[in-house]
Amino acid sequence: MTPIVSIDKLRVTFGSGAGTVEAVKDVSFDIASGETFCVVGESGSGKSVTSLSLMRLVEFGGGQIMDGRLTLHRETGPLDIAAADGDTMRDVRGDEIGMIFQEPMTSLNPVFTIERQLTDGLRVHRGISGPAARDRALELLKEVRIPEPEQRLQQYPHELSGGMRQRVVIAIAMACRPRMLIADEPTTALDVTIQAEILALINRLKRETGMAVMFITHDMAVVAQIADRVVVMYRGEVVEEGPVDQIFSDPQAAYTKALLAAVPRLGEMRGKPAPEPLRLVGDTSEPKPLLPKEDPEPLLQVKNLTTYFPVKGGPMRRHVANVHAVEDVSFTLNKGETLSLVGESGCGKSSCGRSILRLVEPTSGTVILDHQNVLDANHRDLRRLRRQMQMIFQDPFASLNPYMRLAAQVAEPLKNFGLASGTELTEKVAALFDRVELSRDYMRRFPHELSGGQRQRIAIARALAVSPKLIIADEAVSALDVSVQAQVLNLMMELQADLGLSFLFISHDMAVVERVSHHLAVMYLGRIVEIGPRAAIFEDPRHPYTKALMRAVPIADPSRRKLEDDLKFKPIPSPIHPLTFTPDPSQYEEITPVHKVLRVS
Amino acid sequence: MAYILNRFLSVLLTLFLISVITFAVTNILPGDVAMMIMGTQSNPEALAGLRETLGLNDPLLVQYGRWIGGVLTGDWGQSLVFKEAIGPLIAQKVVASSLIVVMSMAIALIAAIPLGVWAAVHRDRWQDSTSSTAALVGVSLPDFFWGIMLILLFARALGWLPSSGFVHPADDFLGAIRHAFLPSLALGLGLMAHLTRMTRATMIGILGQEFIRVARAKGLTEREVVWGYGLRNAIGPVLTVAGLQIGYLFGSIIVIESLFNFTGMGWLTYQALLNRDIPLIQSTVFVIAAVVMLTNFFVDLLYMAIDPRIRLS
Repeated sequence: MTPIVSIDKLRVTFGSGAGTVEAVKDVSFDIASGETFCVVGESGSGKSVTSLSLMRLVEFGGGQIMDGRLTLHRETGPLDIAAADGDTMRDVRGDEIGMIFQEPMTSLNPVFTIERQLTDGLRVHRGISGPAARDRALELLKEVRIPEPEQRLQQYPHELSGGMRQRVVIAIAMACRPRMLIADEPTTALDVTIQAEILALINRLKRETGMAVMFITHDMAVVAQIADRVVVMYRGEVVEEGPVDQIFSDPQAAYTKALLAAVPRLGEMRGKPAPEPLRLVGDTSEPKPLLPKEDPEPLLQVKNLTTYFPVKGGPMRRHVANVHAVEDVSFTLNKGETLSLVGESGCGKSSCGRSILRLVEPTSGTVILDHQNVLDANHRDLRRLRRQMQMIFQDPFASLNPYMRLAAQVAEPLKNFGLASGTELTEKVAALFDRVELSRDYMRRFPHELSGGQRQRIAIARALAVSPKLIIADEAVSALDVSVQAQVLNLMMELQADLGLSFLFISHDMAVVERVSHHLAVMYLGRIVEIGPRAAIFEDPRHPYTKALMRAVPIADPSRRKLEDDLKFKPIPSPIHPLTFTPDPSQYEEITPVHKVLRVS
Repeated sequence: MAYILNRFLSVLLTLFLISVITFAVTNILPGDVAMMIMGTQSNPEALAGLRETLGLNDPLLVQYGRWIGGVLTGDWGQSLVFKEAIGPLIAQKVVASSLIVVMSMAIALIAAIPLGVWAAVHRDRWQDSTSSTAALVGVSLPDFFWGIMLILLFARALGWLPSSGFVHPADDFLGAIRHAFLPSLALGLGLMAHLTRMTRATMIGILGQEFIRVARAKGLTEREVVWGYGLRNAIGPVLTVAGLQIGYLFGSIIVIESLFNFTGMGWLTYQALLNRDIPLIQSTVFVIAAVVMLTNFFVDLLYMAIDPRIRLS
């Protein structure tokens, strides 16, 4: 295979003087036409910086190519991108190499029409404008399979869904038929069904055009779905390179092995009776399954929980409609067990968690925690009840106070409930640091001195401080790198085994959910569409939406890939209804006494 | 369209509230129009007679109705100081003040937008610190200081421009611009500093967005990226802030017009307040408030033309 791009001993730095950071060190690899070359690594691995260097966009972010050659092999002879001038680079960008980015919601200019943004490249590189450019734009929209492409041309980005926007961004990158497409985490911000569609789309475009694809991701399951060859990066260096099958079946580098061990793979819990910690590299003991008690005792009973958010409109900001965020949801969570709420963005899983804690006021329903009704509780009782249930949030950067020392943040709930003071308080806080396996040295530090995983440990310690019975973990590991995610998941399972905690685990990640759950509830448009024991749902899904979700999840196994035509998911309808709308109650069909599926009306 | 209608209704509502407030405040002030006309040493019976003729003994609601009815039909009453009809008097002064307000806004925007963009593009380098320092000096010093400096430099030392007086643009357009230039510049400098900082901050936010990277990845020139993709997104918030500054400008003209002996609304308001000319105070306050409201309404319409997201929501 002839290479399109050869990277040779690339070195990129940020900053200057004593503060210089070497983001990419001595990185070399080739990318050939017609192949999908995946660059995989965790945050700080230098994978994005490498791709931005190829476009010479790294300079706009303050980076500097210090050393190395970036050869673009053209018909007219090789071009060293590292040494090319501004005009040459502008010819390369968008014409020979196209690039797409992570955030479809912000990748398009909000004040220009889709047509204008699609035809920019044609105007600059091909001198095409007017009707000819419009025809080509329409062709591109059809190529990326956007529904009703003719209407889209005159629309603005905010009128399109996230999935459609990412298709438009891909069409923009494809406008001049580039010889290589660089995709920097293009599906990370998307829901799993849309991710599956976008991956299949990129695969098809590659096949049809013969272009090379450089695909940057942190997600090993996505790598398995799309890569031909893989390079694994760690802290700015290449640790391993090889064909995708070899990377997954016979990894050589210790880091690759550790990374693969940390990835939960959908289906690997098949036949296991209960959740069990991931077996990480270096663990010698056999992971202990979290077997449920013989006669489980319910801790949390949610009945017909319904939460609407008002939609205001008109000059007087009148209440004109409702967002039906949570619609007639019922479930029971037993002591010492984990129930997961899964679903895509907007399905109501977070609103459900918040409604239970009454961080948002539910519209109706009952929530019983340990024989006490949460929704009827007055202010004082609610405070007492909240001691029993604590929450861990998704963003470990936003959920800690940047001006408070870590020890003070962990101590705050203890002081708040008057549970400890003086030396007793200090001792309790120190013990909590030990409990979440964080060195006591950190007690006097501030949040910005910690990594994401360490911050999430602090958030867990803070939740544990008041010895709650229930922890609601809302996407608690979603923002973490995979190796850190594995450690935090194992910590949570260990705490469950030791303290008998119950978790309401809210997540969009099916593989993680399969790993940690005793029971599972799949949510769609505010309702639970299927609920039951983990094994029943994963091995015998009955509701069409559960099946679609399972079909969409990428599997960290290159032998199980998906095709574009198998996917074709239906878009999710709006949860906004007029005030007069009366929804049907949720009625379930029993597959077994514990496995229930929503009746389709 | 629904948005425009909503905004327009809220403008009308606000104008109504303003009219009520100005009417109420001037009625709460000690002393009344009859006393102002006849003087404090006047005959109590004559005073009572005048009060009756002027309708000052009617209920407040009736008095308000009469006043607002007059305002709507163009009869704004008589000024006590100037002894002439308020309507034509204000109309002439509004032209004068609009001239310096529009010119100072234009001066401020023409300078602030390129400066702010320039600072944002060269963020954290010498260009940025230079423009930030200059802007800080501009914001810190009051308008009348700039006014005095400008008079000393351009009128006294160089003799390029007149230091005082107002010429109506209908009589002599160039002369009007020349006379209005120094007061406009004095007002515009502080405003320019403020808007430069605003443009810089907004542009820095916009230039960090992903669509800017996408624009570069398409192969667009930096000029298109910054001025096309970037500024087009930053201009809305900048214009909104500029619109809100119109109110501040009408406050500042009271000092600046006195300094330049420029007979506009600021000067008129000052005279009205000084002489307790209650009908004139009511009218000037109401007109200034109305102008500020309407300008902001038009800025909102402009924003709507720029940003399609507002057009639809």
